[in-house]
Amino acid sequence: MAKEIWVLAEHQEGKVKGITFELLSGSIEFSKQTGQKVAAILLGSGLEEATKSLIPFADKIYLLENPLLSPYTSDAYESALLPLLKEHEPSIFLGGATSTGKDLFPRLAMHLETGYAPDCTELSVNEEGRLTIKRPLFGGKVFAEMVFSEARPQMATVRNHTFLIRENPGRSAEVLPIPTRLDPSSLKKRVIHLEKSPGARLDITEADIVVAAGRGIKGPENFKLIEDLAEVLNASVGTTRAVVDEGWRDLKDQIGKSGKNISARLYMAFGISGAIHHILGIGTCKTIVAVDTDPNALIFNYADYGIVGDLFKIVPALTEELKRVLAS
Amino acid sequence: MEKVDVIIVGGGLAGLSCAYELSDSGMTILVLERGDFSGSKNVTGGRLYLRPILKYLPEVWKGAPFERHVTKERITFMGKGNSTTFELYSDRFQEEPYPSYTLLRAKFDRWFSDLVSEKGVFVIPQKRVDDLIKEDGRVIGVRTGDEEIGADCIVAADGILSFLSEKAGLRSPFQPEQFAVGFKEIIQLDSRTIEDRFGLGEGEGAAQLFIGSLTRGRMGGGFLYTNRESLSLGLVIGIESLNHMEPREEVYRLLDEFKERPEIKNLIKGGEIVEYSAHLLAEGGIHYMPKLYTDGMLLVGDAAGLGLNMLVTVRGMEYAIVSGVLAGRTIKRAKERNDFSAASLSEYERLLNESFILQEMKSFQHVPSLLSNPRLFSKYPQLICDLFEKLMWVDEEPKGRIYQSKIEELKRQLFNWETFKDWLQFRKI
Amino acid sequence: MDIFVLVKQVPDPEATIRIKTDTELEIENKYFTNFFDEIAIEAALRLKEKFGGKVTVLTVDHRRVDALRRGISMGADEAVQIADPALEGSDPFAIARILTAYLKDKPFDLILAGRQAMDDDSGIVGIALAEALNIPHVHSIIGLEVDPSKKEAKVIREVENGKEHLTCPLPALFTCQKGLNTPRIPLVMNVMKAMKAQIKKVDSASLGMEPNKVGSSSLQVKVLRYLPPPKRPPVKMIKEDYPENVKILVRLLREEAKVL
Ligand SMILES: Cc1cc2nc3c(=O)[nH]c(=O)nc-3n(C[C@H](O)[C@H](O)[C@H](O)COP(=O)(O)OP(=O)(O)OC[C@H]3O[C@@H](n4cnc5c(N)ncnc54)[C@H](O)[C@@H]3O)c2cc1C
Ligand SMILES: Cc1cc2nc3c(=O)[nH]c(=O)nc-3n(C[C@H](O)[C@H](O)[C@H](O)COP(=O)(O)OP(=O)(O)OC[C@H]3O[C@@H](n4cnc5c(N)ncnc54)[C@H](O)[C@@H]3O)c2cc1C
Ligand SMILES: Nc1ncnc2c1ncn2[C@@H]1O[C@H](COP(=O)(O)O)[C@@H](O)[C@H]1O
Repeated sequence: MAKEIWVLAEHQEGKVKGITFELLSGSIEFSKQTGQKVAAILLGSGLEEATKSLIPFADKIYLLENPLLSPYTSDAYESALLPLLKEHEPSIFLGGATSTGKDLFPRLAMHLETGYAPDCTELSVNEEGRLTIKRPLFGGKVFAEMVFSEARPQMATVRNHTFLIRENPGRSAEVLPIPTRLDPSSLKKRVIHLEKSPGARLDITEADIVVAAGRGIKGPENFKLIEDLAEVLNASVGTTRAVVDEGWRDLKDQIGKSGKNISARLYMAFGISGAIHHILGIGTCKTIVAVDTDPNALIFNYADYGIVGDLFKIVPALTEELKRVLAS
Repeated sequence: MEKVDVIIVGGGLAGLSCAYELSDSGMTILVLERGDFSGSKNVTGGRLYLRPILKYLPEVWKGAPFERHVTKERITFMGKGNSTTFELYSDRFQEEPYPSYTLLRAKFDRWFSDLVSEKGVFVIPQKRVDDLIKEDGRVIGVRTGDEEIGADCIVAADGILSFLSEKAGLRSPFQPEQFAVGFKEIIQLDSRTIEDRFGLGEGEGAAQLFIGSLTRGRMGGGFLYTNRESLSLGLVIGIESLNHMEPREEVYRLLDEFKERPEIKNLIKGGEIVEYSAHLLAEGGIHYMPKLYTDGMLLVGDAAGLGLNMLVTVRGMEYAIVSGVLAGRTIKRAKERNDFSAASLSEYERLLNESFILQEMKSFQHVPSLLSNPRLFSKYPQLICDLFEKLMWVDEEPKGRIYQSKIEELKRQLFNWETFKDWLQFRKI
Repeated sequence: MDIFVLVKQVPDPEATIRIKTDTELEIENKYFTNFFDEIAIEAALRLKEKFGGKVTVLTVDHRRVDALRRGISMGADEAVQIADPALEGSDPFAIARILTAYLKDKPFDLILAGRQAMDDDSGIVGIALAEALNIPHVHSIIGLEVDPSKKEAKVIREVENGKEHLTCPLPALFTCQKGLNTPRIPLVMNVMKAMKAQIKKVDSASLGMEPNKVGSSSLQVKVLRYLPPPKRPPVKMIKEDYPENVKILVRLLREEAKVL
């Protein structure tokens, strides 16, 4: 019964991602009900800084260091994790609904013949530690409340901003290095190189605030306006498929059914008509603002605040107003 | 060039009815539809009269996904700040087969296209026909993308702005006065709420039409149909009068203003707009009808300019369906003769002449010019409303006196030369 | 190159989905071939056009074969439907087990699947199948180059901070994401042929599936109930004129929504 709650710690260049702290914070809340210990699972190499940042957020840190674990490949992570999972049989294993989580978790779950729920937006446990989750289906038109069977671990990937990050004064994790030997010849995939996306902005799935423009922006050069607004808000910039198909923005910025689902605290849409395909990607955003010249644009049906107006006037004014207000 | 027997361009009601009629002929029938599926972009106000079409396609409608059968007819005259509604109820509305049904095209056309496909017709969506292929003046095929496909006969069922009829040289260029434009919203509400608000029994529907101030005196009107779990609300306005509207964005406002009227507001309260569309309608009547056939080609439905706008009722769907069936019959007989020349296909016009379609269009040939009379959309609805309001109004002063003076005023308004001329015109209907 | 492509017919994003009872959904009859699966088909066809070989489209579905017909109309050589009422209620893991049973002793160089099915949105089937077949996989690829002589593929995958370029030995499984290619629109004549094409049908008994490994009895995560999406309050339209409206918006975001 005293099996642990595990969280896969994701990191980028030594820095642990926000989603990991969110998941650990959530897990600590669960542990208050179940009495279970919370462990962060950290894989890679050169992990000192990452380890340090995790200490106040967990009871244990399992540290799997090996140069073959950096950068991530599902092969190497799987080989390293499976023996550990089999040995410890954690009760719950959570990861972010990120490119890593979604790549790795199905593979582990298939091997362990256990339950896995992707893309969860709400999680709770009962005293026995049984996990109940909610997740969107059909791109968010319906949600399913789902419960796990007896098989362990109960695995789930979780969307950003599902839990709040909470400081845990006094908590200090025990660091447990796990000797990890990997046979390079058994690892088939190799990452040749990572082509970093330009700019220091977070990916739209991770950002707290996302500002986006659709075809109403008229041309790629005008995205400068949106970039300026994003600068003031420390936001990331998203867009619609129509814009990506025009070649004005990169595919990685596309929000919606065939792009990314975002869960931002604030989403602002400028010159976006609100086709269902787009809307399906923003369903779990907290506050939505829409600006469009067409009073009948469907986007207004989904927004919290709407302005019928010309984005070429509104966006610069908004940037100035925010500069003024946020400075004071 | 690969070849089939018949290519129908446009998978709306006209095209699909034609395909249905031809599905038992043993011929290879191909329907090309540019939308993602049949019904995806098709717009109608929302009511189909069943009786005129039962004779032509009797069995088909049994499993059709109709919304509600209409048991309540309302006409509302709107003045400035007032309105008068007439409501018709009749026991006959409750007898099967019900006279008319409301429907949603996205659902209805899709169902029809599945039915036609099951009967062996190839209905292929996402295919826009870009050109006609002609040889020695005869239409012998179509081009879609990089593909050319031949056929004995092409049916142009491509809707109101039929590009095929123009390409075939069957019509003169379009004129604005031939058209009106319709704006429509589908507003979702649960079925109990709809039945309660309109005073309907289960499965029963209401049809409500509006004329007067909602179009700010321009030619046009409004409509409201009850569906199973939504309302179709919209307005239609003549393109010509639209051209006089400044600024043009004001057009969008008309529907919003209409929705803000208390008469409408309370009916749509709490509903969510799930669809918004705009589409053209034929306004010109029989005078603007193109030539209906040429060597190797027939026109059906809106593409053939078949339709009737009678101010309170817009009729196009029955015309589309029946013209489709008659085109199908014509093609079957042409096949027997193995002759798809204009002479052989001229039978189509004869069949249309014998049907209600051309007879009705002839009977109402003066309607379009009547509708260009602006008083119809401003003065008369206003008068009706004012008259009623005065009848119903009780004030501090003794009623008799006001009554008399108002009657005098009404007389002045109604019995003058202008109104007399209008009456003479109306008698032509 | 022998390539299998996993395809699924899914409800159109525009189809209405109604919650009928706690555990039952009513889905409007508007289906299309999963968007990402068409990308997978296109990728397979391009490889075939370059290197020769055969493309087989494969679905587990005892009712809908439209995705297979779509595949054939685009140019796939063969279509296989694994169909059995016993499979009803299977989750993506069970689908992966069935596909494993079918594919385990078939020769192939590559299996392609979609990033995710637009109904359950799970992104499991392809990856779980790769695990069961014990072949490498790369998820959500946006670039693919194959060197058949070296039995190796170079793929590009999108991650949060950029694009990963990987090499991977074949046979392997890749799930495909938008950006990899633009699927061709099949010719009318090919659509007509596909509508009449022969589809090979396989049942689960012939695959030797244990009944408790498929269908609803095999589920490790069960639906308790379906819920409508959380309702948003009605929109607040800021009707004031420019530039007053911008000031009001900022105030509302700070004071009412408290997001700034
Ligand atoms: C299978 C499938 C998957 C899809 N997946 C996605 C997806 O993942 N994401 C996605 O976004 N789309 C997706 N789409 C496409 C989607 O259907 C829409 O076509 C797309 O979202 C429209 O993009 P848009 O809003 O930028 O453009 P439009 O619909 O053209 O809207 C532009 C808007 O800008 C407004 N505008 C114009 N000028 C101004 C101005 N000066 N100021 C303010 N407003 C102005 C206009 O009024 C209009 O509302 C998908 C489609 C399909 C079929
Ligand atoms: C607002 C409004 C209210 C109306 N109210 C009513 C009413 O209450 N009752 C009534 O009976 N009628 C009504 N009508 C009229 C009625 O809707 C039309 O007459 C009817 O839809 C005509 O059917 P159709 O099949 O000829 O044309 P459509 O339904 O327009 O079908 C034409 C089809 O052809 C396709 N197409 C076009 N070009 C091509 C191409 N190049 N290649 C391939 N495909 C192509 C289109 O995508 C479309 O599916 C109304 C119309 C409007 C706009
Ligand atoms: N029933 C099925 N038959 C064949 N392939 C499937 C099936 N379900 C899913 N797939 C494939 O697996 C991918 C991911 O599906 P899913 O895991 O359900 O999100 C899809 O894009 C398809 O390529």
